Amino acid sequence: MLTGITYSLLFISLYFEVFLLVAFLERRFVRQTTQSGAISLISYPTVAIVVPCYNEEKSVSATIMSLIALDYPKDKLEILVVDDGSRDATYSVAKEFETDSRVRVFHKENGGKHTAMNFALLHTNADLIGCLDADSTVAKDGLLRVVPVFENNAVSAVTPGIHVKETRNMLQHMQNVEYRLSVFNRFMLAALGSAFITPGPFSIFRASVVRELGGWRYGHSTEDMEMALRMQSHGFLIANAPRAIVHTGIPRTLKSLFNQRVRWTYGWLRNAVDYRHMIGNRTYGNLSIIVLPCALISIGAGIYFFFRIAFELGQAVIHEIVKYEVTGVLPHFGFSFFYINTSMMWFLVWFAVALILILVGTGTFIGTGKRSLPIGTPLFVIFYSFLVPLWLGTAVVRAIFKTGVRWR
Amino acid sequence: MDPVVNTTRARWGSYLVAFLITALIFATALYASNYFNNQRIQDIQTTEDDISTQILSTETQFDLLQEHSCSDVSETDLAPSEMTALGSELSYLEAQGGNQAEITRLKSTYSLLEIKDYLAVQELAQKCGTKPVFILYFYSNNGDCANNCEEQGDVLTALSQQYPDLRVYSFDYNLQVGALQTLISIDNVKYDLPALVINGKTYYGFQSLTAIQKVLPQLATLQKSATSTAATSTK
Repeated sequence: MLTGITYSLLFISLYFEVFLLVAFLERRFVRQTTQSGAISLISYPTVAIVVPCYNEEKSVSATIMSLIALDYPKDKLEILVVDDGSRDATYSVAKEFETDSRVRVFHKENGGKHTAMNFALLHTNADLIGCLDADSTVAKDGLLRVVPVFENNAVSAVTPGIHVKETRNMLQHMQNVEYRLSVFNRFMLAALGSAFITPGPFSIFRASVVRELGGWRYGHSTEDMEMALRMQSHGFLIANAPRAIVHTGIPRTLKSLFNQRVRWTYGWLRNAVDYRHMIGNRTYGNLSIIVLPCALISIGAGIYFFFRIAFELGQAVIHEIVKYEVTGVLPHFGFSFFYINTSMMWFLVWFAVALILILVGTGTFIGTGKRSLPIGTPLFVIFYSFLVPLWLGTAVVRAIFKTGVRWR
Repeated sequence: MDPVVNTTRARWGSYLVAFLITALIFATALYASNYFNNQRIQDIQTTEDDISTQILSTETQFDLLQEHSCSDVSETDLAPSEMTALGSELSYLEAQGGNQAEITRLKSTYSLLEIKDYLAVQELAQKCGTKPVFILYFYSNNGDCANNCEEQGDVLTALSQQYPDLRVYSFDYNLQVGALQTLISIDNVKYDLPALVINGKTYYGFQSLTAIQKVLPQLATLQKSATSTAATSTK
């Protein structure tokens, strides 16, 4: 029974990785990776970038400065900073940037990110509206990489290539690798018309579509997922521009990472329940047939494999303790080729690891043009799979009991 | 043309290709696993053949004893050190799963070799007056012995390491080998495992290290330079 479950989950996990890789290798998707070089537009649409802030006095300046530095016609760009009831100096810090004609700073009562976005939506007539979280900065040519994608009328939103802002410790190096993997996933999911997240850092939307959909909504603290799923459920396409590079702040400590990921996973699960009519519904194509089911199963698989490995490790430790108790002999560790584990399970695990390395490498190439893996890759492969189930498990329990999650 | 357009629809061709590739990965993993397991089985077969040859050699030496003195045959000619390693390897292989029929066949051969070694050592003792110290250990892998057999195996392995001249012959009680079932009958070992036969007396249930040392005082006479066989199962 357990063996059957293990192999089934391994098959599904491998299948999804292989499916993305197969899709990537198809010629028409490869073309998008070459999105580099000079970009010119026939006409420049007006763009409003919203910076929703809540207690961001330390990081908001860098965010606004990166927007001011954007390579885009000045008369076509608005920067709307919405202070969502901060209790620190966010508002006054942001106000200093109003010397630039493109910057407008608003203050409102705290209501959550979606209310800040809707507030901004009421104060702009721009063709495109985007969001840049106050812990992120965008590359100078970021907007010019995104806007041309909207020349395709079928596209209603474009997501960027998100990279980590800093890698000062091991945990951040591991997250850096994860973000490279996400670059690949985001690129491929968009190429398959299956993006189900429009990340806070620099996702740009067609304003008319956002208004048509009724603006942003509360989305279980993951409004970017709720909006993406709502767009998908109404048949709007979400594209990805991986060379529109955004750098975002990432947690430095395990605790803050844990809290962030519990929030993300909790939100994803609750939104998946809200949009459950899409799962398995062929109307929504790849998203409903492959992507959403695999994403949900992967959460279960992560938790299952964690508990299975933890159980086996625990059993081994208990055995060694009992062995010491009955013999008084401490365990000794020797090496012999005979005892190398060559079970089918282990070969499949090695295949899965190899595939992940290929995907991380591909993500790195798509996002940066480099052909080398990030230095945190070994750490990521060895340790991250043991960390992820911690927040997956917590999020599942909280989602079942609908406990809600907080941003901070 | 923007590559994103019209890609929302299901890509059945890609689904099928990905399925076939994933199935191929599974098939490759299965093949690789079988290949290495077969390599292990071949290694064990080779070791068993070597041990068999050595026992046959010793038996032939017995036949020649009338013409030679006991000094030409020593206890160390029997049960070579490979026997210990072989027992551990078989135990590991059994725990890993795989070709159970082949593993059972190897275990049967190993049990026969143990019995032959046991008989040869006794014959040597009878003819040459040596005083071998040995334990017959009966276990079960059917789950009805569980923790006790696992711990008993650990104790006997530790004892073998402590007294390298000690011979521990471990047998899977349920193995359908004629010679083994005869041995069980001769020693009148009941299906109440783990069971140890020490100095002709059968002890049932888990026996601690000190309990064994107490009922086997000859352990004190053993040196630490000869070979011994270890418990083949930790279950």
